[in-house]
Amino acid sequence: MKISFTLNKQAVTIDVEPMKRLLDVLREDFNLLGAKEACGEGECGACTVLLNGEPVTSCILNAAHADGSEIETVEGISQTELGKLIIDCFDETNAVQCGFCFPGFFISSYHYIKTDGEKDLNKIKTALSGNICRCTGYEKIFESVMLACERAN
Amino acid sequence: MKFIKPKDIENLYDTLDTTEQQYLLAGGTDINVQINNGIIRDPNIIYISHLKELSGIEETNNEILIGSTTSFKDVIESRIIKKYFLLMYNSLQNFASPLIQTSATIGGNIANGSPTADVIPILLALNAKLLICSKSNKREVPLKDFFTGYKKNVMKNNELITKIIINKNAEQKYQTYYQKVGSRNSLAIAKVAVAGIKKVVKEKIIDIKLAVGSLNEYPRRLFKVEEYVTGKRLTEIDFEKVEELLNSEITPISDFRSDKEYRYHVCVNLIRTFLNE
Amino acid sequence: MKCVKKFDAIPKLDGSWKFIDDYSYDDMLHGQLLYSTCHHGYIKKINFPANYNLSEFTMVSPKDITGDNIVPEPVCDQPFMVDKEVMHFGQVIMGIAHPNRKLLLKFIKETKIEYEELPAITDIKECLDNEENHFGKETIIDHRTKKEPKGEWIHHHNVYYTPHQEQAYLEPQGVISVYDPKANSMFVLISAQCPFFVKSGVEAIMGDAVSEVIIESPEGIGGAFGGKEDFPSLFAGISSLLSYKSGKPVKMILERVDDIQITTKRHPARVELDTWTDPITKKIKRCRIDYRIDAGAYQTLSPVVLARGVLHSISGYSVLDTFIRGRLFKSNTPSNGAFRGFGVPQALAAMEAHIDRIAADLNINPYEFRKINLFRIGDEFPTTQKIVEEHLSDCLERVIQKSDYHKKVIEFAEWNKTHKDKKGIGIAIGYHGGGYTGNGEKVLDSEVKVIIDKEAQVKIFVANTDMGQGAHTTLAQMFFEAIEHPREKCWVQLPNTSKTPNSGPTVASRTIYIIGNLLRKFAFQIKDELKFKNLEEYVKTHQNEFPKEFHKKFVPDKSVIFDEDTNVGIAYKDYSWAACVTEILFRADTYKIDLKKNWNVMDVGKVVNEKIAMGQAEGGITQGLAYGLSEFFYKPGFGRANGFTGYTLPTSLDLPEMNIEFIHTDSEIAKGLGEIPMDFPAPSVRNAFHNATGVFVDEYPMIPERLFKALEENK
Repeated sequence: MKISFTLNKQAVTIDVEPMKRLLDVLREDFNLLGAKEACGEGECGACTVLLNGEPVTSCILNAAHADGSEIETVEGISQTELGKLIIDCFDETNAVQCGFCFPGFFISSYHYIKTDGEKDLNKIKTALSGNICRCTGYEKIFESVMLACERAN
Repeated sequence: MKFIKPKDIENLYDTLDTTEQQYLLAGGTDINVQINNGIIRDPNIIYISHLKELSGIEETNNEILIGSTTSFKDVIESRIIKKYFLLMYNSLQNFASPLIQTSATIGGNIANGSPTADVIPILLALNAKLLICSKSNKREVPLKDFFTGYKKNVMKNNELITKIIINKNAEQKYQTYYQKVGSRNSLAIAKVAVAGIKKVVKEKIIDIKLAVGSLNEYPRRLFKVEEYVTGKRLTEIDFEKVEELLNSEITPISDFRSDKEYRYHVCVNLIRTFLNE
Repeated sequence: MKCVKKFDAIPKLDGSWKFIDDYSYDDMLHGQLLYSTCHHGYIKKINFPANYNLSEFTMVSPKDITGDNIVPEPVCDQPFMVDKEVMHFGQVIMGIAHPNRKLLLKFIKETKIEYEELPAITDIKECLDNEENHFGKETIIDHRTKKEPKGEWIHHHNVYYTPHQEQAYLEPQGVISVYDPKANSMFVLISAQCPFFVKSGVEAIMGDAVSEVIIESPEGIGGAFGGKEDFPSLFAGISSLLSYKSGKPVKMILERVDDIQITTKRHPARVELDTWTDPITKKIKRCRIDYRIDAGAYQTLSPVVLARGVLHSISGYSVLDTFIRGRLFKSNTPSNGAFRGFGVPQALAAMEAHIDRIAADLNINPYEFRKINLFRIGDEFPTTQKIVEEHLSDCLERVIQKSDYHKKVIEFAEWNKTHKDKKGIGIAIGYHGGGYTGNGEKVLDSEVKVIIDKEAQVKIFVANTDMGQGAHTTLAQMFFEAIEHPREKCWVQLPNTSKTPNSGPTVASRTIYIIGNLLRKFAFQIKDELKFKNLEEYVKTHQNEFPKEFHKKFVPDKSVIFDEDTNVGIAYKDYSWAACVTEILFRADTYKIDLKKNWNVMDVGKVVNEKIAMGQAEGGITQGLAYGLSEFFYKPGFGRANGFTGYTLPTSLDLPEMNIEFIHTDSEIAKGLGEIPMDFPAPSVRNAFHNATGVFVDEYPMIPERLFKALEENK
């Protein structure tokens, strides 16, 4: 099936099996390797991308879902101004450990700051509750997002 | 294995009439896991996520209609839902995870029919109905009558749920209650879920609707318990009797996630707390 | 305590840092493991599914092994692939490769194996309760006095169990093997902690068939926690064999379900404690510890875990008359392996609970009881090693003060009188010896290399990997801070066994403690040798001397003498110390523990990079709390967890408010930090539950189902 969508603000069209996992489409057909596979069942958020501006787990979505929509991946978001600001905050707190889950955390944080952005620990915890991190105990991630909320406003 | 993307809703009904053993794909959060695990093999997929008629929340004079492919996120963020059904608004905040809320659909949660489905006890407590359609027929089925067994329901092969219908006044002047007990505070699958609404006048329970999840082959209302406590003052309720009735209405099991004794006792505790509140 | 930023943070955030699955080669095949689904038995027949062209697949079984079918480990008893008898679920039967990964996975799922089944032990208690089931050498620490227990001493006897724990690194196990027929060499890129372990593994399976084996780290290793210590040797062995046979590069990435079900876990343990306490002085006078761990089907590295567990099993208490017996037990489950803490969390789970139990019986506050029994300068470990500092006591005092423990004990008791839900507060202490046990560091003979080039760029070559713990940032920092060299001119190189000397494995909290401190000394030594004040200026004025290569070996302290047969002597030169207090709210309706607040005070010596150290502590404490509270892998009657839906990790909404403080940071030495945060937190939750409800639970995890039963039994 031919599907067309906007990928990191660029119009793209590919011929792809419609049930192919969106994660595989991004990694294999577009060589966008930032989204990772850690669980393959939507339980960890390492594969998070934005679909029409909303964060989703791309490992349990299909190519079909991309058709006609707007997809943003870590590769695109990290180049935006807000993206850069958030990256700086994560960098300053030394929050990143193994980094496998971080593109996902970064996208969920970006979405939170863009759509709400209140420097409220409980709200931040909830916004990040679909992303699992095994290294950090989350503390430094919260700290980074709190800092980013402050700076973005 | 076939993949069909109907042009429009009419085309969908035609497709439903002519396809065998099909799975409807909306958000895909459940079905894709089952396909990837090999639980569903070589399915015929009918994709419905793009059909705008199936999603969105509308208000009529007496009712609120929720399109079946409305995402949980849209339900939670809907002003209508917040205005009329605080039970639903509050209870679904921790549904799965923010990432799943974006994709998962309310109709999918119902049609998939898992005993642990989060939204079903809530909708049961609100006495919701389902609008079920096929090419030649349209019918309303109360949610309480929808399931017939483990992941089985009254729908025919050519039907689909198009709307969830709730009376606007379903929880007006009622006290509401919801507890989902999972192994963690996000990304949890319910070990026990209890949803209820009750109207109490002068300490007497005038009306009550009580529903549980993860305790039977499908989530269900506790009609016997409801009947027993209705018309009684709190002080008049004999909890041994409640337990006896509950025992005839739930069939908790032990599995990897939890134990039947635990499930049973937690259910009793939660119902007691709700009645006493 | 400068906070140098991590060198890899930005590329990890923007997605450009490459993990093993992000690498690919032309004409690459995908490999997977065909493993046993029977616990014990003989393979009768393997039925491959029809409708596949078998000639497209490359398959390897033991007959393809050109070297030995034994994985090199401390005990060499585990074959790469099933030899005759299947000894456990998840044992590798074959390696299979195909150009299409999806098709390969389907092929393997549809392959059916017929077995002749034999009796099997799969249950933790069935394994550990039966004394006849033990194997391997016992580890004994005999510090007995001849005195018989006095009649008035109070005897406490109890048995504590701890379950498997899954490392759950976010990145599954992954490897790419590339056989080069021209050079007759095997190049292996692998997400692993210890490149030289992998090298031995690949050399063992290949034998003389290849003339050179090179192991390299990818840019990123997505977490390990011990889980990528020894399994990668087996894993890379099979991918290499597949590459050798097919003549093509082979990438093998485990599916999460397989990774959870077949790789190494934390050893389940059964610890039986007998103590005799003088009711007048409240001193523990006599202690007997029976420490048992389930090694799985093979011993592999379990004797090392056993030794460490036994050496820490008395916790921080001075008991003159002690006898500790450690044994390995056998089950038909995959060999258990390394996991942060390495036997110590199991040991402390028992002793730290037991202490609260005795205190309750003696009607003394758990803090007071600990204080009376804590070892002091001049006391000794059961190994006879002398206690030379009281930093453990300092940690305890500080955490009691910070958490306002005494006030809360009273407040909570009052609050609990009028509430259905219950508040509780609990203490636990712990310590962890840094580096390899006993003479291990002597045997390792670690070496590091530094190259300084014409631009005064310092390249550090160590075999220790950065799996997220920030080792490469901190190691570089220890070097450049010592000689005041600019940060951007000092980098640790990605480990590659053909360029990097063997500085030992990335395990046992030894990377900073052994290698970091070594690099720091090395920096000073180079400075002395070249007699420079400013390296950049020196290089500028002495261009013809550069590039220059420097080598240095770790020289163990000669005073560290340990007899590994009798377990007498100095087991570890330096210990890290810690104490914590945790506050909980126990929910009466759901039998659930909500973690509210958690205070930790730790002495890890010099803190090189405070934010990195803090992050390590936070992550370890989180894993520790979850170990005690919620993580379980196996359930009798229902088997093993199936992916991340079954093995539920804590989310951002499940953790307490956390407070961590490092003390005694003015030390010269950066001591072990990696493991200790995992060791001590769990018992504090158990003790808090006892404080809240008056009920002890003797088994982890404290899931609501278990608490419900414990409360019912105590009614």
